[in-house]
Amino acid sequence: MSAIVDLVLGVVTSIGGFVEVGSISTSAQAGSEFGFQLLWAVAAGTVMLAMLAEMSGRLAAVGKQSVAGAVRERFGIHFQAVPLVAELIIDVLLLTAEIGGVAIAVKLLTGIAFQWWLLPIGVVVWLVLWVSGFAVVEYGIGLLGLVTLAFIVAAWKLGPDVSDLAKGLVPTMADHDMTRYAFLAVSILGATVSPYLVNFYSSGTIEEKMKEQELWVNRVTSYAGISFGGVVAMGVLVTSAMVLEPRSILVNSYEQATLMFVPTFGRWAVALFAFSLGIGCLGAALEITLNAGYLLAQVFGWEWGANKPRRDEARFTTAFTFILVLALAIGLIGFDPLKLTMICVALTVVIMPLIVLPFLVLMNDSRYVKGHTSGPIGNGFLAALTILAGLLALVVVPLEILGG
Amino acid sequence: MPSRVDLIRDVLDKGVVDRHGREMGRVDSIVIALRPNRPPQVTAIEIGPAVLAYRVRPVLGRLMSAVEHALGIDQGRPLRIPFGDILGIHSHIKVDRAFGETVAATVEQRLRAWVSALPGSS
Repeated sequence: MSAIVDLVLGVVTSIGGFVEVGSISTSAQAGSEFGFQLLWAVAAGTVMLAMLAEMSGRLAAVGKQSVAGAVRERFGIHFQAVPLVAELIIDVLLLTAEIGGVAIAVKLLTGIAFQWWLLPIGVVVWLVLWVSGFAVVEYGIGLLGLVTLAFIVAAWKLGPDVSDLAKGLVPTMADHDMTRYAFLAVSILGATVSPYLVNFYSSGTIEEKMKEQELWVNRVTSYAGISFGGVVAMGVLVTSAMVLEPRSILVNSYEQATLMFVPTFGRWAVALFAFSLGIGCLGAALEITLNAGYLLAQVFGWEWGANKPRRDEARFTTAFTFILVLALAIGLIGFDPLKLTMICVALTVVIMPLIVLPFLVLMNDSRYVKGHTSGPIGNGFLAALTILAGLLALVVVPLEILGG
Repeated sequence: MPSRVDLIRDVLDKGVVDRHGREMGRVDSIVIALRPNRPPQVTAIEIGPAVLAYRVRPVLGRLMSAVEHALGIDQGRPLRIPFGDILGIHSHIKVDRAFGETVAATVEQRLRAWVSALPGSS
């Protein structure tokens, strides 16, 4: 019974927790500029994330190791130093962007400039992490995040042509501005396959004390939950394509993205968009902050866990607090949330090969996953993803300069 | 304890727990004594950020040592545990120590004094 409850909660909260600042901004821009043409990128990113999440959950449930801990042990600090530093930098920048996303949402509701909200939101994030266990962070925010289903409702109400949607799921060449199209495709992948999600997922599996016998729960949660979550991101793209593209409205700011809800929700559009953006970003901010603490604690072998008293894991607590303060400091210096988000997704793509490559080894090492090593499909996927990630890492910076 | 130990695979970078199962850190370095006309001997494992940083780049190790000195937490660090005090090598390396009584806990204890001062920390 408990496994069924875990399963339902896991799937539902994965849906509610999928959409955040990166997926909203990239999908909204893609829809407003290229219609349904980039739906395939959202679908591809979702499949990649689901497979990586399943593997990281399997590693944690069987080997009782998070991805970061297993990489330190299996590859050593020489290999891990670069991805660790890179992931921490991305975590800090993305955290700034997510807090910025919540601040924009509050601005939409109150009319007060978003900069004024950064500090209070940072305090709220810290207080939630200080007083709450893992379940509140994961399930509480995930359930609230179901408000993001508004994107699917909006897309549904607009009545897109099914054959046009199906065509969008097949990669095609853009009929204009190919560089921008390629940049957005790569950005969508970077926004979807975030490194923090992979380590957070494995850490969460350990926090929830998932057993080897419950691997099926992990499999269903990762594939079903993340796939449905991907549908929400597709809802953003479709709504944007049907509302903004015909009116030639480009998403240069989150305020402009709000307009996509107007035809469906009328006077509730701003509030619904603000809640969707705000709760999605708040959930991501909590996860990123916690993940930064996880990452440092696991790499250096400190006591960690959201369910333990904070005084018993002072280094872990200090680590996530420090990362949060750093992100807030960057935010208070001044930034454009949308631009920062796009920089973060590009940086994510740069380090993606270093995130994916260890899975090829770890998921075939019986010391970590016992008899649950990856089969030909899993290995083929990982090999293809590693090559793809390497290619994307090479092109993302030129694309950012030319098409970003 | 396994009859044959691969130092890089089974020991280096592995998590270390004390005799009560509390996490102490990771094996950041292994100490090997070179003896004239005799095979080298593994004498100890070390836990500490300075030796870890030194492994990445010696200059980083020196920098970390300087930071530890400046913060006044360099006394007795890195923690060196004789190989003979290893109780078991499994998924973690279990050592015959109590975390709180070692210099590996210096930073944790200092931070705990601050964290404990806040309401709701326990």
